[in-house]
Amino acid sequence: HKTVLSALSCPACSRQIPIFPSIPVVAASMSRPPPPFTPQNPTPAPRPGGQSPSSTLPASFSNLQISRAPPPFASVGPPQGDGPVPSSIRGPQAPPPGARPFPGSPSPPGSLFACPAPSVQQSPPFGAPPAAQSLQQQRPPFNGPPPVLPAQVQRAPFGGPPAASQPLPYGGPPAAVSQLAPFGVSPVAAAQSAPLGAPRYSAAQPPQFSGLSGAVSRPSYSGGSIPPFGAARAPSQQGPYGGPPQFGGERPGLQTPLFGAQTAPASQPPPFMGVRGANAPAFGPPGWQGQTRPAASSEFIVKDTGNCSPRLMRCTMNQIPCTGDLLTTSGMPLAIMVQPFALPHPSEEAIQLVDFGEMGPIRCSRCKAYINPFMRFVDQGKIFICNLCGFSNDTPREYLCNLGPDGRRRDADDRPELCRGTVEFIATKEFLVREPMPAVYFFLVDVSMNAIQTGATAAACSAISQSLSDLPEGPRTMVGIATFDSTIHFYSLKRAQQQPLMLIVPDIQDVYTPLQMDLILPVSECRDSLEQLLESIPSMFENNRVADSAFGAAMKAGFLAMKPTGGKLLVFQSVLPSVGTGSLSARETEGRSNISSGDKEAHKLLQPVDKTLKTMALEFAEYQVCVDVFLTTQSYTDVASISVVPSTTGGRVYYYFPFSALSDPAKLFNDLRWNITRPQGLEAVMRVRCSQGLQVQDYSGNFCKRVPTDIDLPAIDSDKTIMVSFKHDDKFQENSECGFQCALLYTTVYGQRRIRVINISLPCTSMLSNLFRCADLEAQFTYVVKQAANGIPSSSLSQVRDQVTSTCINILQSYRQYCASVSSSGQLILPEALKLLPLYTLALTKSIGLRNDGRLDDRSYWVSIVSSVSVSLAVPLVFPRMIALHDLTSRDDEDPLIPNPLTLNSENIQDNGIYLLENGEDGFIHVRNAVNPATLEQIFGFSSLAGAPNLLVLEQFDNVLSRKVNEVVNEIRRQRCSYLRLRLCQKGDPSGDFFRSLLVEDKAPGGLSYVEFLVHVHRQIQSKMT
Amino acid sequence: DSCSPRSIMAADPSAAAAPADPDGPDAVRFTWNAWPRSKVEASRCVVPLAVAISPVRSPESLASPPLPYPPLRCKPPCSALLNPFARVDFAAKIWICPLCFSRNHFPPHYAGISENNVPAELFTQCSTVEYLVAGPPGSPAPLPPVFLFVIDTCVIEEELEYVKLSMRKAVALLPEHALVGLVTFGTQVHLHELGFSELSKIYVFRGSKEISKEQILDQLGLSGGGRPGFPKMTQQPGVQQVNGMHPLVTTGVNRFLLPVSECECTLSTLLDELQPDQWPVEAGNRAIRCTGVALNVAAGLLGACVPGTGARIIALLGGPCTEGPGVIVSKDLSEPVRSHKDLDKDAAPHFQKAVKFYDGLAKQLVSQGHVLDVFASALDQVGLAEMKLAIERTGGLVVLSESFGHSVFKDSFKRIFEGGEHSLGLSFNGTFEINCSKDIKVQGVIGPCTSLEKKGALCADTIVGQGNTTAWKMCGLDRNTSLTVFFDVSPSERSGQPGHQNPDLYIQFVTSYQHPEGQMRIRATTVSRKWVDGSTNTEELVEGFDQETAAVVLARYISLKMEIEEEFDATRWLDRSLIRLCSRFGDYRKDDPSSFSLHSNFSLFPQFMFNLRRSQFVQVFNNSPDETAYFRMLLNRESITNSVAMIQPSLISFSFDSPPSPVFLDVASIAVDRILLLDAYFSVVIFHGMTIAQWRNMCYQNQPEHQQFAQLLQAPQEEAQVIINGRFPVPRLVVCDQHGSQARFLLAKLNPSATYNSAHDVPPGSDIIFTDDVSFQVFCEHLQRLAVQS
Repeated sequence: HKTVLSALSCPACSRQIPIFPSIPVVAASMSRPPPPFTPQNPTPAPRPGGQSPSSTLPASFSNLQISRAPPPFASVGPPQGDGPVPSSIRGPQAPPPGARPFPGSPSPPGSLFACPAPSVQQSPPFGAPPAAQSLQQQRPPFNGPPPVLPAQVQRAPFGGPPAASQPLPYGGPPAAVSQLAPFGVSPVAAAQSAPLGAPRYSAAQPPQFSGLSGAVSRPSYSGGSIPPFGAARAPSQQGPYGGPPQFGGERPGLQTPLFGAQTAPASQPPPFMGVRGANAPAFGPPGWQGQTRPAASSEFIVKDTGNCSPRLMRCTMNQIPCTGDLLTTSGMPLAIMVQPFALPHPSEEAIQLVDFGEMGPIRCSRCKAYINPFMRFVDQGKIFICNLCGFSNDTPREYLCNLGPDGRRRDADDRPELCRGTVEFIATKEFLVREPMPAVYFFLVDVSMNAIQTGATAAACSAISQSLSDLPEGPRTMVGIATFDSTIHFYSLKRAQQQPLMLIVPDIQDVYTPLQMDLILPVSECRDSLEQLLESIPSMFENNRVADSAFGAAMKAGFLAMKPTGGKLLVFQSVLPSVGTGSLSARETEGRSNISSGDKEAHKLLQPVDKTLKTMALEFAEYQVCVDVFLTTQSYTDVASISVVPSTTGGRVYYYFPFSALSDPAKLFNDLRWNITRPQGLEAVMRVRCSQGLQVQDYSGNFCKRVPTDIDLPAIDSDKTIMVSFKHDDKFQENSECGFQCALLYTTVYGQRRIRVINISLPCTSMLSNLFRCADLEAQFTYVVKQAANGIPSSSLSQVRDQVTSTCINILQSYRQYCASVSSSGQLILPEALKLLPLYTLALTKSIGLRNDGRLDDRSYWVSIVSSVSVSLAVPLVFPRMIALHDLTSRDDEDPLIPNPLTLNSENIQDNGIYLLENGEDGFIHVRNAVNPATLEQIFGFSSLAGAPNLLVLEQFDNVLSRKVNEVVNEIRRQRCSYLRLRLCQKGDPSGDFFRSLLVEDKAPGGLSYVEFLVHVHRQIQSKMT
Repeated sequence: DSCSPRSIMAADPSAAAAPADPDGPDAVRFTWNAWPRSKVEASRCVVPLAVAISPVRSPESLASPPLPYPPLRCKPPCSALLNPFARVDFAAKIWICPLCFSRNHFPPHYAGISENNVPAELFTQCSTVEYLVAGPPGSPAPLPPVFLFVIDTCVIEEELEYVKLSMRKAVALLPEHALVGLVTFGTQVHLHELGFSELSKIYVFRGSKEISKEQILDQLGLSGGGRPGFPKMTQQPGVQQVNGMHPLVTTGVNRFLLPVSECECTLSTLLDELQPDQWPVEAGNRAIRCTGVALNVAAGLLGACVPGTGARIIALLGGPCTEGPGVIVSKDLSEPVRSHKDLDKDAAPHFQKAVKFYDGLAKQLVSQGHVLDVFASALDQVGLAEMKLAIERTGGLVVLSESFGHSVFKDSFKRIFEGGEHSLGLSFNGTFEINCSKDIKVQGVIGPCTSLEKKGALCADTIVGQGNTTAWKMCGLDRNTSLTVFFDVSPSERSGQPGHQNPDLYIQFVTSYQHPEGQMRIRATTVSRKWVDGSTNTEELVEGFDQETAAVVLARYISLKMEIEEEFDATRWLDRSLIRLCSRFGDYRKDDPSSFSLHSNFSLFPQFMFNLRRSQFVQVFNNSPDETAYFRMLLNRESITNSVAMIQPSLISFSFDSPPSPVFLDVASIAVDRILLLDAYFSVVIFHGMTIAQWRNMCYQNQPEHQQFAQLLQAPQEEAQVIINGRFPVPRLVVCDQHGSQARFLLAKLNPSATYNSAHDVPPGSDIIFTDDVSFQVFCEHLQRLAVQS
């Protein structure tokens, strides 16, 4: 192993070959350019396992290639090759003979790693096969990088300030358009809070997504009057466009696409594998359409030219199957992930606000779809045809405009609603059932004995107090507070009174609000007294001996106080709610004692215990009250039951287990602060419409649904994603387009009612290969994760795992069966776009949600966050990122802040290392035994782990390593919009075992190693095909 | 012509001037001071055999200071206390109980007893004697009185300010060790936790939901082991229970009930910050006021914190209950508060429910030994009629006024906290027991008490008021508190035989109570009266008749009957009783009205009855149900002298001609140059004759040469002040002039001897009353005629 390791860490290779590529980044870079891989011609996957490219292996090792990585196209060797079993599945971890795909294969030690050298040198940055055959087949038909980019995904010119390089095609915004108030992403003052706030992009950092700069004009759009919007045309308006697009050639050298600065230096060969001529037609005339979007986890800049930013909405496949049968055959899901308030890149143009005055936004009179760039104006603009239902509408007189020679309205580029995929409309009266609600924040703090004694109350009070200054400014921001134990204590903070008045509601079976007014006041009027109160609450209840906590009743009471307005109810709960409405019992222990009654019923403990809280939550939602629950606990709190309330009302659960008064207050504060400051909307209603041929099958996420078509969101924020799945109810014509439109009616925190309309239009295809080529791995995997989470409370874990695995197998089998060449029948062939699916799937089966061991609450919490998790965070949640911290000092300051992630394999763990593994929620710092005490001292301030707390507070010390560690951690926090909970994992400790269990490529007691898993998948496919 | 009405009336004014202590040293007044021996004879007496007693009348009247030892009791079942009527055999150290004739040995510590060394309770003048009941050594200090204020905040700002003013005065007057609690209410009930120093802490109870005592305890965290999280109430050995009060339950005391000395500041802040109820009142609606739940909560709190010790809920109400249990009227203003007519026609939809609720509250309070006082200050009714049970059963005080700014409220409220001479001597937690000779049976009691359901041989078959018991709970009692005990005679076989007859009857009233100073005391009053033998001996009966007591007892009796008997015709019943009484005891020749005359002991009685018929007690339709309830509660609890004034007001004339002198309660007493002072108990009216009023308006009184006039004007004021000072509730003072609108307060009480029908022969300067009511003269003529009918 030593030799292997040293070979892998060879400096020459490590820069050129992402031996341990950050999986998300790799995936991102793969999907960032138009991946013109043909189905038969998949680019070999990056070596996620850090192994040498498989194509270089001797033929006899072909089965290893299969098991370790997507094989090259022309594969090598007979399927029944008797190649050696890879080292990783050799030895004690080797599968039983029966499990071996190729019985009798010898397993020479180290042979796998023994001969990678030549291929390493030839490997393209992604570990793509450099072999001769791949060169032949993958040579792009055009010189230079094919700019078959999603046109709306504009890449900032390399080197220059991104914003500046995007010339606005018109002199300024149209009069009717006002700029959307940028969401305040205030720089964070406190050192500890730095990671929160919108991700900050430093100039050096963005790995610019390749694409055309706005200035590049397409030859095909020769009309001088057409603003140089690149390909920002509705397909219907592209009459003159014919023939294959002229790709390449125009790109200035400087703009050579870079696929992630970390992995692909500019000096590398073009990262595109090129488009095979045979497949070119599949892209269809509108070159900007139907292409894959940049990976969610990558960094890119979007220029909205008709299709919305993929941050806001992305589909699991970038071409839509013409028929339902085709979709079924593919085994892939069809769904879109909508994240309506997704954070934009700071360089991106803000979403424009359109005011149609009293007329209101133009809508299709049949399906009520909102005007969008894909609606086609005909008959001199007198008629417009809805892109969703096809209905011909009369253009309102006020909205008439002549068409230009290109068939577009002459004013199309002046009107954001006709040239932008995402716009906001000012809502007219007909969208208002009442005055837009004020921004109401009501805090509920548990002050029962445990909460006080663990310091949770003090942490909550301090967090609230510090967050007050972050509340939206203005007279429309109202606050209120209540505390509770076995009774509920409201506080009247009216100014006239000398001291706050504490009003106790003791009836926790049937609660009520103790005052009509004065419980919720404009923050400007009561800020001082509220701060004083927050300061005194911990001491006031210092000697509280009431152990009970009436969580449900307190929420209900808080709700009643907010009922007239609606708003956000932020609950800080520390123990299992034991009394009053919606009280819960320690089901966990009941479950344990009943273990003999079978694991079959174990999942019942992951369901809400009864309907009480659900009923309550539905009422909250009806009155636009959104509940966020901060669980600062040291014991079982039945997250499964509690999480029903936030998930129904558009909130979420924050979970701090086991709560530490030392380390968690900082996270609590940052979570609360982000909760308040992130872009968000109130009293929202959302509907997704799609073209005829598809229909919405289901919505999934944190909301309340009363009618089948709409979902009610008392609150919606930048972190929340809603998954919408579709099914066919008709056929699409080949080359037609399928449009999706998400309309979100909401109230801003400043009290303006708006409709955010997000559009996307995708080409339809009847070719399965296109589906696979344009599959969006991350979106699909997010779908799988969410489906798995949905299944956890209702089926046994093994069933869910089987389900997840079979989804993966079905997709791959479909590809194998219908798209792969016959010659490769004995091999595991992965579609290029989905080549990481098996790895992710394996990670999912080993995730906290699906693993057998682990606490019920942890699993319930996992389920609860998955329900609203975004695409960009879903993958790391399951497939964490691991980086080495001990050698950060060896990196240059010019290097990207975050070093290349290591594969999740214990072989990458050095005995003298310190590793950080993060999944967007938690950061696990693993300190090995042989680590240099000096390093330890530098990072943590102590030289021995003995007695170190499991929950860490990362301080910055005056040394380079500490600074770098802090920079890295802060950067991760910024990327994830989440303040990582840092935990120290030591060997020989349960925490160390836990860390090991996160190394998903390893064989674990409950799961296969990655190699074994691939073997398993391959065998399943083969058995299905025969 | 002693039989003429004139002669009857002639006795009136002088008799109305009460003697120094009309109730005697024992504060016991009998309707009949000599009792017939048989049931038949008793019923022929018309006026029931009844005794009015003020159990704890001011101790100044006692012949001996309180005795610092426990009383001796006769052996059960008699259990009577040793008293001056007992026969004592000094040699044998034996006493014979006069009630049951049992022989009892003196206990060892009475060994020193002899003819020359007699304990105080055997002194003849010590027919009423008080014992100090000291607990065993080491028992806790005297219990502090507990005052739980319940304040209505559904009032306008101005009224609330008056309340605050009165409250501040009250707090300042309270003894330092007294425990105080505060409940305010409007739409919801606010229970203030006074023991929480950091900020104002309030428990809020919803007004719309009745809440049981257990729930209150549970919700306040005062319950025993019910809820996890609260310390379990385990009986600790060696810790004594105080009056059933659990030692650990008292932890609640220092949260909600604090000594005045500790919470004066908090209270003052609370009062400063107290605002009218903030819940909105819709147009056309009454304020949402949950009086019922507020009292419920108050009772629950006291039940949890201080069960069995003296405590009073002092409720200041500003309007009707419109929410939750005890609702008397809906929120909709278009629905008026029920009137007597509605009650009569069964058209008061909330009445029965509310009465039931307050009945339950009364039971709870009685079982806890706590008092409900109500100070109702509103122009409209607040629901006293419904609350009457809860107030009267607990012996609570009640004051009805128009506003919290009115002196009737202000001065009355202040009075209950005052010490010294004017102190009401508010006592708590009393038990009233009766022991009597065997031939006497107890029918029941009318007055502020509740039956303890102690049944026994002494209980009569027929019941009046709180009957079928020989013991009553008096949660609250004071120096004025008076009870009316109704008796029946039921001679046993043996006592009917000559030779065994005892010439005297004995009745002993034993009251144990918590003195205002905290100690428990027992007061025993033993009285003896004569039996009258045979049916012919009316002489003795007549001699023993107490017409004032009789009038009051009848008034109380018919008030009760009017309340509990449907379609009871009080006027008719009174007329018939009076006629029967006059037939029985009058002097006349049959069928000769002009021959009719009455013994002086009866001479005032027809006039009492005449005024009673016209009074607010019988003519209820002139008042609201609240007022009627108020009047009746006071009638039932006041002393005989005061009650007489309610029935038949006194009228005093002030003029230059003569010293102040009582005059007839007749319109004829009005004169232009007189000032009249009417004391109708609930109101005191100063009435200036026209000339006097003119002089006063011309300010003669300010001129030095007319000092006499100034004095004349001043005299009735001073007199009125004397009356007001000595009375609780403080009467309403009305100062008016002849022909002024306020003069109606006087005219309504006067005998209409001159009406608009007789206006032609009215002397100039006098007045007439616009009424069709019969005058007393006509009434008497009818009476004479009917009494002598054969």
